[in-house]
Amino acid sequence: MSNKRKRNDKFLDILTYISASVGVIVLSLIVVFVLKNGIGLLNLDLVTNDYHAKFYNGGIEEVIDFSETEKPDYLTDADYYSVKWGVAFTDDLDREGKAIIVVSYIAEDSPLYYMYDKNNLDNQDFKLEVGNIVTSIKYVNKESSLSIYGASMMISALDEEVVFREMVFSSLGGGIRGSLITTLYTILLTLVIAMPIGVFSAIYLNEFAGNNRFTKTIRSMIEMLTGVPSIIFGLLGLTVFVPLTVSLTPADGANIISGSLTLAVILLPVIIRSTEESLKIVPEDFRFASLALGANKTQTTFKVVLPSAIPGILTATLLSIGRVIGESAALIFAIGTAVKDDISIFGKSTTLAVHIWSLMTDEPANIELASTISIIILIIVLILNVLVKLLSKAYLKKGIVG
Amino acid sequence: MTNNVFTIKNLNLNYGTFKALSDISIDIEKNKVTALIGPSGCGKSTFLRCLNRMNDLIDNCNIDGQVLYHVDNIYDKNYDVITLRTKVGMVFQKPNPFPMSIYDNIAYGPRCQGVKDKNELNKIVESSLKRAALWEEAKDRLKESAMSLSGGQQQRLCIARAIAMEPEVILMDEPTSALDPIATLKIEQLINDLKENYAIIIVTHSMQQAARISDNTAFFHMGELIEYNTTDSIFTNPTNPKTEDYITGRFG
Amino acid sequence: MIKFKKSIVSFIHSAKHRPKRGVIDLITRLFFLVSTIISASFIIVVIIFIAKEGIKPFITDNDGIGKVNLIRFLIGNTWLIGTTFKSSLYSVGFIIINTLYIALMSLLIAMPIGVLTALFIAKIAPKRLSSVMRTVVELLAAIPSIVYGLFGSGVILKIVYDLAKVFGVQSRGGNSVLATIIVLSLMILPTITALSEVAIRSVGKDIEHGSLALGATKTQTNFKVVLTSAKSGIFTAAILGIGRALGEATAVSLVAGNAQSGPSFGFFQTTATLTSTMLQGIKETIGIDYDIRFSVGLTLMAVILLTNLSLNYVKRKVGKVNVK
Repeated sequence: MSNKRKRNDKFLDILTYISASVGVIVLSLIVVFVLKNGIGLLNLDLVTNDYHAKFYNGGIEEVIDFSETEKPDYLTDADYYSVKWGVAFTDDLDREGKAIIVVSYIAEDSPLYYMYDKNNLDNQDFKLEVGNIVTSIKYVNKESSLSIYGASMMISALDEEVVFREMVFSSLGGGIRGSLITTLYTILLTLVIAMPIGVFSAIYLNEFAGNNRFTKTIRSMIEMLTGVPSIIFGLLGLTVFVPLTVSLTPADGANIISGSLTLAVILLPVIIRSTEESLKIVPEDFRFASLALGANKTQTTFKVVLPSAIPGILTATLLSIGRVIGESAALIFAIGTAVKDDISIFGKSTTLAVHIWSLMTDEPANIELASTISIIILIIVLILNVLVKLLSKAYLKKGIVG
Repeated sequence: MTNNVFTIKNLNLNYGTFKALSDISIDIEKNKVTALIGPSGCGKSTFLRCLNRMNDLIDNCNIDGQVLYHVDNIYDKNYDVITLRTKVGMVFQKPNPFPMSIYDNIAYGPRCQGVKDKNELNKIVESSLKRAALWEEAKDRLKESAMSLSGGQQQRLCIARAIAMEPEVILMDEPTSALDPIATLKIEQLINDLKENYAIIIVTHSMQQAARISDNTAFFHMGELIEYNTTDSIFTNPTNPKTEDYITGRFG
Repeated sequence: MIKFKKSIVSFIHSAKHRPKRGVIDLITRLFFLVSTIISASFIIVVIIFIAKEGIKPFITDNDGIGKVNLIRFLIGNTWLIGTTFKSSLYSVGFIIINTLYIALMSLLIAMPIGVLTALFIAKIAPKRLSSVMRTVVELLAAIPSIVYGLFGSGVILKIVYDLAKVFGVQSRGGNSVLATIIVLSLMILPTITALSEVAIRSVGKDIEHGSLALGATKTQTNFKVVLTSAKSGIFTAAILGIGRALGEATAVSLVAGNAQSGPSFGFFQTTATLTSTMLQGIKETIGIDYDIRFSVGLTLMAVILLTNLSLNYVKRKVGKVNVK
């Protein structure tokens, strides 16, 4: 009998240990997956580049002085170099596996800097950059150089000439600058809208409201918001905030402002709860002391109670930022899913999270870039979490001592 | 030796750096009620918990010395604690019934030991409740929650629960301090009936209670065993002046 | 209702009879009150506006495609895109069944794992390991749903696809009921673990000691006494878990497969949930497809509300049996 019980116990213990390890395993798998697929693209260019590839047509007049720079040492044999033009091309594959030619070096004295924008003659900022993809070079009395012929042939063809009709090239794209900026705008705007309303509501509920039916009803109405899934808030944004902003601002569809308004509604219960909690900790004596000194309730609230509630408000801010960054469903409706490079708060664009969704619903899904963005999001969320933890530790210490 | 259930030799206990018990040596007799008395914090509850190794659950607890249950030292490395606790039951200061039915509370111990037969369990429940003087009040509500009983009834339930294990010794840690006088009286009557079959060691902060119900009394003070004798001797003719001071109410 | 009116009346009354000095306070109070009312009003705004749009397909002509039949909407088993097929054949019935089925299955998987993990953290693990595990759970809870969707799409789909091959079943690249269930279980696991842990830790030590003093082992104590005492809190965890499972959108949309008819019970069949249907084809839609999303959203809210009500009812019933 005792042996059977021992076996039973052992069995249950093993089950428990296995269950506990599930969480750890899942976390590691997610982190490993995201890192493996995304780390490759993680560099500064990603953060500053446009997402959409831009296409250029460059023309050039007769060149007088050519480049005198020799091929730099750090370039390899795979980089085909033209001394005359001071430029190096190399072969590469794009995401779909097609052969492309990439500019790997361009000398400071390269005559290519004399290229002008065939589509916009006033464009002063036009130049070929390292990382650009050269699609073709069209000549006056020679057949065009195409990318399928390879970098070596393109360079030799170019080397033979002193002028060309047109160079068709494009920028790499795949950058997330647009989404980063959108996310930043959204966070700021949402906080600006939601924090005041939330904090003031919390102040009312904790400092001014009586313990009556009215207050209880109000509280439950606010609590009910937490039970609504975020996609429903997306619909709310679509049917209320988008038309609202369209009629009041230059916007003509979903935009960052409508998205921020939507997020503000989602965040209200969180902000109110967090602020109320820190307001509750403020000892009654503080309020009494202030009132006894002749201050009225308003002064007491703003000068005595509110400052003591700052940690709670800070926590609410950090939690809100985390929520904004992670939110996808609501913003798909409220800001839209079009990835943009020029961001305006009156126009559609994507936050980082929505960008991931957009990438994953493309054909084919861009898992690498999605993973890279995930790495960024996870790091930010991790930092926020650590900050919240430190904040509550510091706050507790202060509360007990001070 | 054969009349003793517990033989304790030179027992020392430290909570971290605090010395809770110093060099305790005492023999507990079978089928007798032994009362442990003394002022708060003198170590009597700590000592009680040594007897069924409940002190194992407290961090930083260091024990030195011998506690022999019959002939075996319960603090030996390979000693079977689980079985010890089936032989040495415990009733706590605050009644702690499980949030289950009355029936399930009593049947809990036997079920843990592997008893599955419905009839056997029924018998155990009935006999335990009878011996704890709770059967009449509980027999029609066996499936109801134990939390629906009054405080005194809950404590008797806890006693019944301990009895269901057929222990040899029942340890009671101030079992009536959370109860009203009537419930207290009922429990004291119960203890009197129980000593026929069980050795009972009861910690009490009430000297009157010790005088009423116990056969032997041990007086503890500041972690030391000051005096141990039959209850009559202790209360009518204490040999140690500290004992006399405590009994006459000079401190405590 | 009368009490409600009374409190407003007394509020105004006390406001009127305040001394002049209190004007500033009154203004402040009013200001804060307005904020609060704004906050509280949103739930009503949500319901009204979504209902307004959601009812449209049932009462208007939808640009010549015809009214959508409410009954068929609720109990039918096919979903056709209106403007493409020029039909009003939208039925959400099978989708409701799918959604509930998937949420329930996810709960069935996540509950045991979550509760046992919580038990481990609260009662079995040494302090250091406990706090590490707790952090792990917090991190898992902080991961945004879209990243779970990415993980599901990149890893889970492959696993399910290979698994299906082992069974000789052709699955649509892994998009399936099983994949959706796995992803959802992973997502609600942290919630269930965290709430269960709180419930378990709040079980009194005296009950644990009582069990141990009777000669039960630690494991027996944990399973027979601690978990049963924490029942109510664990049930709450389940309610919150299933709420999250019902409402999850982006992650599900990446692994479900968008079935057009159903319901789908087979693990390797593609499926559609209320939320994935709302996201379907969002990149390009107009007309009835736009409006119908609101109807689905309305259905989702109804499903969540009903589920919550019934689960809370069950919770009270179960609670009554044990603790009078």
